[in-house]
Amino acid sequence: MLQAISLSKKFKTKEVVREINMELLAGESVGLLGPNGAGKSTTISMLSSLVIPTSGDVLWNDKSISKNPEPLRKTLGVVPQEIALYPELSARENLAFFGRIYGLKGELLETRITEVLKKIGLSDRQKDIVKTFSGGMKRRLNIGAALLHKPSMLIMDEPTVGIDPQSRTYILETVKQFVEEGMTLLYTSHYMEEVEMLCDKIYIMDQGRIIAYGTKEELKELVSDNQTIELKADLFTANFEKALGERFPKATLRIEEKILTISMSKSEEPLATIFAIAAANNVVITSAIVKVPSLEDVFLHLTGKALRD
Amino acid sequence: MLFSLIIKQMKMLIRNKQPLIILLVMPLVLITILSNALGSMMDGGEEVAIQANLLIVDDSSWVQEEEAIKLFLEQEGVTGPPMDALLSQFKNSDPVELLKNTILTSDEMKKYIATDYKQTVDLKVTRQDKNIDGILSIPSNFRLNYIKSVYFNNADFAELSLYLNQDNDIRASIIESVLADWKSGYTQSAALLDVGLSPEKVMSSVNSVEKIEQVLESNERKIPASIYYTVGMLVMFALYIPAFLAGFALQEVQWKVYDRILLAGVSPILYTLSIFFTGTLVAFIQQAIMLLFGMFVLGIEWISLEGMTVIVISYSVFVGALSALMTTLQFRTKTEGIANVFNGIFITVFSFLGGSFFNIRDISEILGKIGDLTPNGATMSAILSIQKGQDLSVIWPFMFAIYLLVVVCVLLSIVFFPRRGVTE
Ligand SMILES: Nc1ncnc2c1ncn2[C@@H]1O[C@H](COP(=O)(O)OP(=O)(O)O)[C@@H](O)[C@H]1O
Ligand SMILES: [Mg+2]
Repeated sequence: MLQAISLSKKFKTKEVVREINMELLAGESVGLLGPNGAGKSTTISMLSSLVIPTSGDVLWNDKSISKNPEPLRKTLGVVPQEIALYPELSARENLAFFGRIYGLKGELLETRITEVLKKIGLSDRQKDIVKTFSGGMKRRLNIGAALLHKPSMLIMDEPTVGIDPQSRTYILETVKQFVEEGMTLLYTSHYMEEVEMLCDKIYIMDQGRIIAYGTKEELKELVSDNQTIELKADLFTANFEKALGERFPKATLRIEEKILTISMSKSEEPLATIFAIAAANNVVITSAIVKVPSLEDVFLHLTGKALRD
Repeated sequence: MLFSLIIKQMKMLIRNKQPLIILLVMPLVLITILSNALGSMMDGGEEVAIQANLLIVDDSSWVQEEEAIKLFLEQEGVTGPPMDALLSQFKNSDPVELLKNTILTSDEMKKYIATDYKQTVDLKVTRQDKNIDGILSIPSNFRLNYIKSVYFNNADFAELSLYLNQDNDIRASIIESVLADWKSGYTQSAALLDVGLSPEKVMSSVNSVEKIEQVLESNERKIPASIYYTVGMLVMFALYIPAFLAGFALQEVQWKVYDRILLAGVSPILYTLSIFFTGTLVAFIQQAIMLLFGMFVLGIEWISLEGMTVIVISYSVFVGALSALMTTLQFRTKTEGIANVFNGIFITVFSFLGGSFFNIRDISEILGKIGDLTPNGATMSAILSIQKGQDLSVIWPFMFAIYLLVVVCVLLSIVFFPRRGVTE
């Protein structure tokens, strides 16, 4: 069991992580959701013993990892947010190096490399230099490099950032398979759909704090009496936005180019009113959708801002 | 684990073009250019052969002196058969014949001295000839005087004149040594005859050859441009290794592979140690390649291999220690600033002072002394000293400077090692 107890991190005077408490039980799949700069990577670095907390502690099986990180490191695989690979080495050479520093050698190392290559679908490109790989292939190898020593717990930091949809689907499927095989997972992302797909328990993080925690269902409960309406128009005028705000003072409004999202209590029946206000302000609404709550909405509800910018 | 780290670092060096160009191609090209372009200037156009050219200007001959000798013997009261016996003894132990036909004609001696004979030349003109290392003039009355002085204790000593061209010390001393041997042999020949030894035996050419070899050993070998610049570039370009290794290490931190290495349980100490060993190994290989290049391409004959091994290994260890220090400093500052300053300024200044470009002692003895305190300068001086044929012991003061610098680098690496981790 991995636990964060009142964990904080300051870089100089900047508080990046503030007194967070987390828990990761064996076999669990936990998501850490938050926008860029929330402090997810810093939290992960502290959990994996790479960064020393300013205050608080990380416990592995009830023992602090600050004195003896070895037992944790042996069972832990970490997939960093960056492509932590040697671009001049081939895929196989990269894996061989990371296997060797974990003490694997000879026959065992070779079979592990072959297994991992198969898992990440790079068997046929194993001899190629990583420099020549696509973003998706690099991401896959980045995951593979954390698997050689057969960790029972995997911490992944935004493993799908900056890749094409196909590679993303491939990676998500692979990670899902890990979870089904019983791997303990801590999955960080700012894509709520990934966390929704992979994780049982979710922590939502913003500005260094855990602002919500629970299962998907529990979190959605938070916004169950909320509704989200997505409007499309060629142009939303400032007057329209102002009028909407005055009419629905408790709602959260957000405009992203031609899409306006309004979050408000379910007790209201706003569509007719909205169309009326639009007409009064010469805004032509081309479509209007009332959406079921998602984690995105949870985040919007909790922070008043979008998960992604 | 250490081994995997070293192998990985070597691969990074080899797979990148820049290190290969700077660490190998550049020095080899520079060695070739410098030793050819500056070669004639430095070597003064001389070939380094050690065969001395001796010109013997012989105005004497037995025939021409026989009458005078007979006359002298008669004056001394030697006549009839005793005179004939003496004459034949003189003939047999004639020093000029001995020199010409025995000492200088042995195969061994011919390797060291090429002899040319002339009669009555204009000495002033001949002395200008740069190809002649020594001129031995034998006067027309040499034999008579020789007999007078050696057999009859006459004060008239058999005068010879020897002119040595001091342009080349070694060749002059070869001639000097052989002729001195010959002279002491024939001046003592009467005494030798008394105890039943023939001067011929005593003055055998074997003795003289041994003397020459001693002369050669005691003399310094000349350092041609090829040796000078091979060594100069070798010590200079080894200094580019630390920045490459430290740069890779910083890259590893930035790419977060360093995190992976730490997570695998490799301690920062072991990691730094791997850089030390890689630096040492790369420096050793680089120097070996340059020495072999000098040997096979430029035809350099490296002498004192044990001394060379000690020096090259010591310098390699220094390069390793400097690599570790530079890595630590870059981890601390998180920029490549230190490596850039070192590559851009220090290497140039050090190489200038150390004599990689030209012998700094030609400008100033003080700068030369300062140069010997730079690691590259100390190493260069040590190699050149033993390549001149000096005793192995001359390298220790230089090596001591290197070992001191190694200790300093290691201590500084320990002091500056970022204890709270590199990630922050
Ligand atoms: N080593 C560091 N020094 C100073 N600030 C840092 C450092 N690492 C991260 N930060 C800052 O901490 C904040 C959180 O960063 P990070 O943990 O990477 O967030 P996330 O992974 O959620 O995007 C950011 O504002 C980032 O600029
Ligand atoms: Mg991050």
